[in-house]
Amino acid sequence: MIVFKTFLKVVNKCKIPIILYTVILVFFSGFNTVTNDNSTSFVATKPDILIINQDEEEGITKNLIGYIEKNSNIKTIENEKEKIEDALFYRDVNYIIYIPKNFRKDYLEFKNPTIEIKSTGDYQASLAELLLERYLKVANSYHTIIEDEDALLEKIDDTLEVETKVEITSKLDTSALDKATMYYNFTNYCILAGSIYVICLVLSTLKEEKIRKRTIVSSMSHKKHNRYLLYSNGLFALVLWLFYVVLSFLVVGDIMFSMHGLFYILNSFLFMVCALTIAFLIGNFLIDKNAINGLVNVIALGSSFLCGAFVPPEYLPDTVLKIAHALPSYWFINTNQTIKEIEVFNVDSIRPIIINFSILLLFSIIFILITNWISYRKRKIG
Amino acid sequence: MFFHNFKYTFKVLFKNKMLIFWTFAFPIILGTFFNMAFSDIENSEKLDIIPIAIVSNESFESNPFLKETFRYLSDEDSETQLFSTKYTNEEEAKSLLEEGDISGYLLVEDTSKVVVSTNGINETIFKSVVDEVNQNSQLIGAIAKENIEKELKNNPSINPEAIYKNAIELVQKEKANIKNISSSNLSYTMIEFYTLIAMACLYGGILGTVAINQSLANMSSTGKRVSVSPTKKRNIIFSSVLAGYLTQLIGLVLLFLYTIFVLKVDYGTHFPEIVVLSLLGSLAGLSLGIVVACLIKSNEDLKVGIMISVTMLGCFLSGMMGITMKYIVDKNIPIVNKINPVNMITDGFYSLYYYDTFDRFYGNIIGLFLFSTLCISISIWSIRRQKYDSI
Repeated sequence: MIVFKTFLKVVNKCKIPIILYTVILVFFSGFNTVTNDNSTSFVATKPDILIINQDEEEGITKNLIGYIEKNSNIKTIENEKEKIEDALFYRDVNYIIYIPKNFRKDYLEFKNPTIEIKSTGDYQASLAELLLERYLKVANSYHTIIEDEDALLEKIDDTLEVETKVEITSKLDTSALDKATMYYNFTNYCILAGSIYVICLVLSTLKEEKIRKRTIVSSMSHKKHNRYLLYSNGLFALVLWLFYVVLSFLVVGDIMFSMHGLFYILNSFLFMVCALTIAFLIGNFLIDKNAINGLVNVIALGSSFLCGAFVPPEYLPDTVLKIAHALPSYWFINTNQTIKEIEVFNVDSIRPIIINFSILLLFSIIFILITNWISYRKRKIG
Repeated sequence: MFFHNFKYTFKVLFKNKMLIFWTFAFPIILGTFFNMAFSDIENSEKLDIIPIAIVSNESFESNPFLKETFRYLSDEDSETQLFSTKYTNEEEAKSLLEEGDISGYLLVEDTSKVVVSTNGINETIFKSVVDEVNQNSQLIGAIAKENIEKELKNNPSINPEAIYKNAIELVQKEKANIKNISSSNLSYTMIEFYTLIAMACLYGGILGTVAINQSLANMSSTGKRVSVSPTKKRNIIFSSVLAGYLTQLIGLVLLFLYTIFVLKVDYGTHFPEIVVLSLLGSLAGLSLGIVVACLIKSNEDLKVGIMISVTMLGCFLSGMMGITMKYIVDKNIPIVNKINPVNMITDGFYSLYYYDTFDRFYGNIIGLFLFSTLCISISIWSIRRQKYDSI
């Protein structure tokens, strides 16, 4: 009990960083997963467009704005140059359309007025450009044979109303699964940072010379002391993991009650075990207490950046992903990504997951073996 | 005495491993991680070639518009290639979709139908192209009809095929008159590296904190010894701070060299402005470190902890953990970022990179200067004429 009490005292000292990691996790997962996609019917992706209309909103100008509005998310931003430029840079809008003064008049007089645009150049902007180009091409084609504005607009509307039927085959709630995957990918950072920080701090505190001497002269056997320490660390890891799992039910929602949810939880448990072994390994060879903070940041941030905890793995360069194969975080995140894609759970579909689980376990065993080897060598020297 | 204290403070700071890690190594390590994670992200957001399948049945083969459009958009030698198309039967198309090899497939029967497995940008573009082909087909029909009706009024013996062909030509040659006036400097991941420089400037403040602590009698044994020496306090403080500033600038130069030559970060072309911004940014960090050291009567660890936390909060608000945060704060509560030194530095670099004019840049420079002056004034006010009867 006395070992456990000491352990709790040290843990109590680390509550601020753990709270900080958790706040970042909640904020990150809440912030990045606001999507309205629904998988049961097809919902076209809509680009964010800003229209700066210097013309009067009538006739063809009004019709063009109406078409763009129907097929995109129209953003309203104060008409100040700096605010508009900032909105484009930070991707608040993907595409800005400047409708010039007298656009309607010039268009109807066959002057072919130029529409200036600003674009972020990403796929959303390409989609926006597709919309604008299509409208103008259809309008131009009709304008060669129809001069009357009302008749022209009627024809344009008729053509642009033609839509293709879309059938969606997957019955997966992709939006909820994306959210869950993103949440569990991010826990990679929280679990690693939390467990390494706390366990290293506990181990290095107990390794301080004065405390070690007192422990050695106490009546408690060395083995028993170590066993209690192991239980305490294990219990801490379990509590930390449970906390993030419970939190996932609140943040992610109903999908956690499905088979997908069960596999996310199972995967995070195995990763927690692996993180525990990593923490033990580091705690065993770490001597300087001041180095913990730096080490936690380098290991947790490093593996999170390299393996796709912060940036989705599909956006990472191939070479980075190849290097990431050597890290347990990669297999943890890879499993999360695989779970997201599974429609029906059967032996075939979960095979890659089982392989990843085995690799995580293998990593854990390797870390335990290295820890034992190091501590054995240290004892021999001592 | 000035140089004596300067020299030894400089040595003490350089030998402190923890300080050197946070001010020299950590920004470089973090920059490397940023580079690994973000180097491909903007390319991944550009339109890629979309794998699709088309059920090549009789209806598709007899639809020249669809056939020709997809042949053109799937041409591997063309710069405008948008799709990588497999022509197959329905069964195979289904299995390709199930296995995730394609984004969707097109099935033409009485009408065209796009089958996809999920919502997404590729699926939207695929549908959009099929929409456009069908719309064009309707458009050509409508134009041809209109022309036939017109012609019939004047001449009962017309050639509908020729009119139809003309309509196709008319629609194909129409171009939208659009002019792209975007700036070429739109790489938002640059912000991450700018916050990194800003973070290094502020972390440099820790050096100021430690250097001042060495000179304060109520903070360290060295401080006690220094305080009883027959030397003017301003000489001691000024030389310590200067040593901190110099150490900080060495770290910053290393970080700049690393980000420019290894990570290929683009800081724009205004070199003198970049130097001024970096010098003032470091001064702001240093003065923050000094004010923390002077005002907070606690041990060094707590002061360093406060500096790290304040810096990280500043970095968070200026976009290090997601650049959208900077935009949200700038847009909704601009005052927060106007007084946030990390943002002033980040925004200074951003304005040099993105804007043609210097108005915003000078705003940030003035802000940093005022911030540094305020911190230094508070520090001088708090430690001048300090005397101790006993410590």
